[in-house]
Amino acid sequence: MLYEIEGKQLFKDSKIPVPRFKAYTDSDTIKAFAEELNSNVMMAKGQALSGGRGKAGLIKKVTTDEAEDYIQSILGQNHKGKPIDLVMLEEPLEIEKEYYLAVMLDNTSGQYLILASSRGGVDIEDIAENYPDEIFRETLPIFTEPFPYQFMELGKKLGFVARTLTQFTSLMTNMVNMAIKNDLTLIEINPLILTPDKKIIAADSKVVIDGNAYYRQPKIASLKSQRDRHTDLEYEADEAGISYVQLDGEIGIIAGGAGLSMATCDLLEFFGSSPANFLDVGGGAGDIKIEKSLEILSNQDIKGIFINFFAGITRCDDVARGVINATKKFNIAVPVVIRLVGTNDKRGIQILDENGIKAYGEMVPAAKKIVELVKGGN
Amino acid sequence: MAILIDETTKVIVQGITGKQGNFHSKSMIDYGTKIVAGVTPGKGGQETLGIPVFDSMKEAVNDTQALASVIFIPSKFTYSAAMEAIEAGVQLLTIITEGVPVKDTARIRQKAIDNNVILVGPNCPGLITPEASKIGIIPGEICSKGNVGIVSRSGTLTYEIIQNLSINGLGQSSCVGLGGDPIKGIGFNECLMMFEQDPQTKYIVMVGEIGGTGEQEAANLVKKEITKPVFGFIAGQTAPPGKQMGHAGAIVHGKSGTAKEKMRILAEAGIATAETPGQIPSLIANNL
Repeated sequence: MLYEIEGKQLFKDSKIPVPRFKAYTDSDTIKAFAEELNSNVMMAKGQALSGGRGKAGLIKKVTTDEAEDYIQSILGQNHKGKPIDLVMLEEPLEIEKEYYLAVMLDNTSGQYLILASSRGGVDIEDIAENYPDEIFRETLPIFTEPFPYQFMELGKKLGFVARTLTQFTSLMTNMVNMAIKNDLTLIEINPLILTPDKKIIAADSKVVIDGNAYYRQPKIASLKSQRDRHTDLEYEADEAGISYVQLDGEIGIIAGGAGLSMATCDLLEFFGSSPANFLDVGGGAGDIKIEKSLEILSNQDIKGIFINFFAGITRCDDVARGVINATKKFNIAVPVVIRLVGTNDKRGIQILDENGIKAYGEMVPAAKKIVELVKGGN
Repeated sequence: MAILIDETTKVIVQGITGKQGNFHSKSMIDYGTKIVAGVTPGKGGQETLGIPVFDSMKEAVNDTQALASVIFIPSKFTYSAAMEAIEAGVQLLTIITEGVPVKDTARIRQKAIDNNVILVGPNCPGLITPEASKIGIIPGEICSKGNVGIVSRSGTLTYEIIQNLSINGLGQSSCVGLGGDPIKGIGFNECLMMFEQDPQTKYIVMVGEIGGTGEQEAANLVKKEITKPVFGFIAGQTAPPGKQMGHAGAIVHGKSGTAKEKMRILAEAGIATAETPGQIPSLIANNL
């Protein structure tokens, strides 16, 4: 997901109308923006990657005099585990009506899906529950090249007429093109606003990019949001090509493969403990990645480590070497249990054995053992 | 019988001269897969592992009449390689590559549907029919021939389950790894129908995970169309909402994609679900 201000910049670049906005840097920004608007009233909006900003008091209409104090009061405020460190200033809008609009790459159909409703400004889930007949769905083929006429019917269903209708069809066209061009899996505008002078403007933005497409979307990949969506340890792992998710349990995990890593987390819970993380080193990981994984875990507050490999592409001797190197370099003061089978497992087990570490061949006894060691240590 | 592939299936490897492609081509040949050609643009006329290399899929298909291909090509070039394979007339296309942009996959999927091509993957371990043939990277030595059909969204977890079954004397008819991406080729339902129609398969194991709605759709199908006993496992019971667990498709949005909810829906459809992968053999044994 992108920050609202990043999404709005993309909207602007894609010719989707947005209110005038500016990123806050210091009190001079406020003055300059007031001059630009020719008004002493503006919106100040704390930027966050999780929703509920309005309820948390992170969005407020302020005068030029109030703006600095308000912004200082929200900077650093914790919003769902992350401190606010980015604020945008925005032109306030007069609202005649609010709409909901989304374009997404639909996982079930594999096509672009458009969702639209004339009941915007509330969660789509709420609209779906209370007014299911007032959400319109349209599917666009994945190989589509959108034209405005394709959205005429949808625009009429939403109640647009004359000038607002053509504004809508061109906005829709630009929105679909934006999704295609930038490898976005979701663009949500909620609310889309109709102003009293009959202009349609995107008042908010929720944009999600496909991480697999980073290589051909370098501009989006380097946005602040793409760094901030990870915790520090998650970011460190991501940079090393390791899939890691921080959890709040007691046993750290290193596994090969996403499914096995998830099943490993589940198994610890099944035996009465809990996972401190999800960690998949990925197929074909060498000793360096294993070492890096242990370094990441050594920075987490955990009571034990469970290493679980059923090696296909990965080689067990690489895993063993990575483990041994890591124990020499990092301070690993908690019990470690290793389960190792698959490609080159005999060699791997031998390397561990030479260093006084016993490897398990099966997952269940190994999981039981680490839980026992962790619980016994209490 | 088994499904999708047998010892007569002729296979082309796209990316046969690459590091992964070459390593796994050797492993496939050793297992008995009938690899008849490889494709690497610019290396046409060469040979590797005793297999002729062609510049294009069209040439490889024309020369060998093979109707199956497998892609071991970096994600940036997968879209073009897949389009080439479909246009050359391949009927079974398996994409092992991880990290393919979702838009590319959606387009490959559509192209496959329009041309009646069976697409497996991407981001998958491929498929195997024990003692006959394998396409992809599933370790052959853990498999044994038998009557359990396996269909799974995971790689290594599937190996875990296959090995558990083999150790307990439960061989497999075929195992298919669907892949971990949110948009992909065939899903649980296509495989369940193939296993239902395959005389060798007596039991079906489906291995799911959090995210998406494939398991729910499978539960509906099992209620209506599948007469053979189906057993299930869902990974990700401890996964928090909103976080991607390795696989791009493994993410819980709201309540519907959780492991708990999926297990409940499977159980409702009469599918016996295991709490740990190790319990699957005994679930099947109880049914014997």
